[in-house]
Amino acid sequence: MTVFEVINNILKIVGDAVAAFIISILGAGGLADFVIMLLAALIICSICAVAFMGLTYAERKIVARIQDRIGPNQAGPYGLLQPIADGIKMFTKEDTTPAEADRWVYNLAPLVIAVFALLTYAVIPFAPGVVGTNLNIGVFYVIAVGSGSTVAILMAGWGSNNKYSLLGAFRTVAQLVGYEVPMLLNVLPVVMLAGSMSLVDIVERQTLSNGGNGIPFILMAPLSALIFLISGIAETGRSPFDLLEAESEIVAGFHVEYSGMKFALFFLGEYVNALAVSIMFTVLFLGGYAGPILPPYVWLLLKVAAVFTLLMWLRGTLPRVRVDQLMSFNWKFLVPMSIVNVILVMVIGKVFVADAVLAQSNGGIAVPPIVQALILFTSSIALLLASLLLVARQARQLRLVEAEDIEKRVAQNKVAAAKVVAQ
Amino acid sequence: MTLQQILFIVISLVVLGSAVLVVTTRNLFHAALFLVVSFFGVAGFYVLLDAGFFAAAQVLVYIGAISILFIFAVMLTRDVITAQRGNSQWQAAAIVAGVIFLIMALLLGPFSVTIRGREFGNANWPFAMDGNAIKAAPGNFVGILGTGLVDLNQYGVPFLLAAVLLLVAMVGAIWVARELRGREAERAAAETAVDDADMDANQPVQEPLPLIETETHEAHDSRNAAATEKH
Amino acid sequence: MRTDFAFVAVMMLAAVLLMGFALVGASILRPKKPSKAKLETYECGMETVGDAWVQFRVQYYIFALIFVLFDVGGIFLFPFAVAYNSLPLYAIVIVILFILTLLGSLLYAWRKGVLQWD
Repeated sequence: MTVFEVINNILKIVGDAVAAFIISILGAGGLADFVIMLLAALIICSICAVAFMGLTYAERKIVARIQDRIGPNQAGPYGLLQPIADGIKMFTKEDTTPAEADRWVYNLAPLVIAVFALLTYAVIPFAPGVVGTNLNIGVFYVIAVGSGSTVAILMAGWGSNNKYSLLGAFRTVAQLVGYEVPMLLNVLPVVMLAGSMSLVDIVERQTLSNGGNGIPFILMAPLSALIFLISGIAETGRSPFDLLEAESEIVAGFHVEYSGMKFALFFLGEYVNALAVSIMFTVLFLGGYAGPILPPYVWLLLKVAAVFTLLMWLRGTLPRVRVDQLMSFNWKFLVPMSIVNVILVMVIGKVFVADAVLAQSNGGIAVPPIVQALILFTSSIALLLASLLLVARQARQLRLVEAEDIEKRVAQNKVAAAKVVAQ
Repeated sequence: MTLQQILFIVISLVVLGSAVLVVTTRNLFHAALFLVVSFFGVAGFYVLLDAGFFAAAQVLVYIGAISILFIFAVMLTRDVITAQRGNSQWQAAAIVAGVIFLIMALLLGPFSVTIRGREFGNANWPFAMDGNAIKAAPGNFVGILGTGLVDLNQYGVPFLLAAVLLLVAMVGAIWVARELRGREAERAAAETAVDDADMDANQPVQEPLPLIETETHEAHDSRNAAATEKH
Repeated sequence: MRTDFAFVAVMMLAAVLLMGFALVGASILRPKKPSKAKLETYECGMETVGDAWVQFRVQYYIFALIFVLFDVGGIFLFPFAVAYNSLPLYAIVIVILFILTLLGSLLYAWRKGVLQWD
């Protein structure tokens, strides 16, 4: 018996004891079920809140290291107590509501945004059998709930009655809704390969235990994984897509006017969403909790930590993009490429079928799963390279035109300057 | 009363209440928000009807997209809060809405009316695409829907027509957008014209300004460069 | 199915409780000394002119419209994706037609210059 099994058993015993205790008080029935569910939901929400505090510290420390700074180092050893200090500050800071604000809308917005961010975690599988609820529309539910936060952002922007806020909110929403399209389209290949939208089924398909073939979907749809990650970063408004809080342009975007706890809730929403994107990426493309030797939740933790570190790395190194670049990148590059990618995966998956029985009944060539994965991988990478080449050529042409234009203008200026000198 | 009935009544009250508020609120933005609440309640109805996919689609399309569209449209109008929105034809609108409601209830509701020997409406409600298949595999409702959508014998043609509808909507949107953009440009031009007129009145004599700021800088720089070259 | 969603409702309740608790706790702990200057709308040290609730540009509306179209198109594809493994080869042709129509509408918008943000 390993250490992990001991921990597992202890957790199981404690959980069963709590459930038995609640049932013994309320009697088996709807009310007891409700209380147990509420308890579970509260635990998930609290874990998210604690994770939020930990993530703020980790991000500040790691980004500081990337940028050759030290980061928080005053509160406690290595600044480890910084999140607690921040929490105390958030609780005790005066909270002003602008006199001109639309009070109800202004005060409700942070609550709505935090609730929508937390709702995502209701369907995420943390370990085999450990999941809030295994909805059969899991992925779709996550995307739908994620889209709900746009309304909250508009509420915040409108409610503040501040020009920066409203402009920031409008920009943010235009960005969020734009990048939702590639996200939606790149979940499709995963759903097709797994044959289900349930997150538990998707993870199981990537394990060796229950009917899966043990190949993570990142190997079968690498392009989808890449675009999903990019649009996920944009959806959470992190650098390099952090136009919504472009401090130098619109001060802080839609939450300029917020302070104290309400501001903290916006921050919580942001980090909880970023964590949700990392977890979704892990579940959809990296096999979730699947992995050898180590217990499932440790694998999930490791993979999520790796993806989140990648997000922090990007945040620490990349400069912010311009709003028109942001829009063009999405609508003129990601969306068309996603559409072509969906068609590609669809056709290849139907021509080279991994399941011999299905190949017999529906037509198509039966191949071993690893060969199918290999073909999918190569074609996806080929598509990526082809589209990159195409874009590079277009960009070079644009640059040439621009350079010509500049040369022309310089020549004109020289003539003008000569005239001035002559005068 | 079962729990489901209680939930149904509560959600209905929320949906109808917020729908009434949508049409009575003066503030257009608040009206849009009440509409979101109403949409959310409708998603709740779908959950009660065991159609989780449609509930999520309702949230994704109506709350995540349509309401955003509405709010953007609201912000296109000039007076969001104060505008007087009396509608002289509201009686006619109410009558039309009532008639449409009756027709819908007849078509979709679980009853039929016989007029002169012909039966209108369907007493066997709800009609599912393949009721038996859904009863056989209640969890795989979405899969059955998908199979039906791409089967030419079932819903293949409407499925393709939906794509064409989206295309037509795109063309229409771009058409409207061009018109609106044209009007925007016109207004901007008019405003600058007014500004110019004011300027002319105030400063009748004015040197023609150089076209672009940066060009003058460049000219300055190149003149300097020329000067240094001379030295 | 219905019972699966019960947890979502409970989760919503739990999130509202927890966040509401944080908000109420903060409102008890924090000082409250509003003054006229504090409650002013934030700007670069100047007094704001008029409401922020002004007219916005058409462009936002157009992008939202395009988004709605692609959102709806994407949703149509999800049921198909679930059924994908058991579908015959010819069903794929119909879906490809559907997707190509979507792509066509995107290219149309592109050609008309609507996708250019300025």
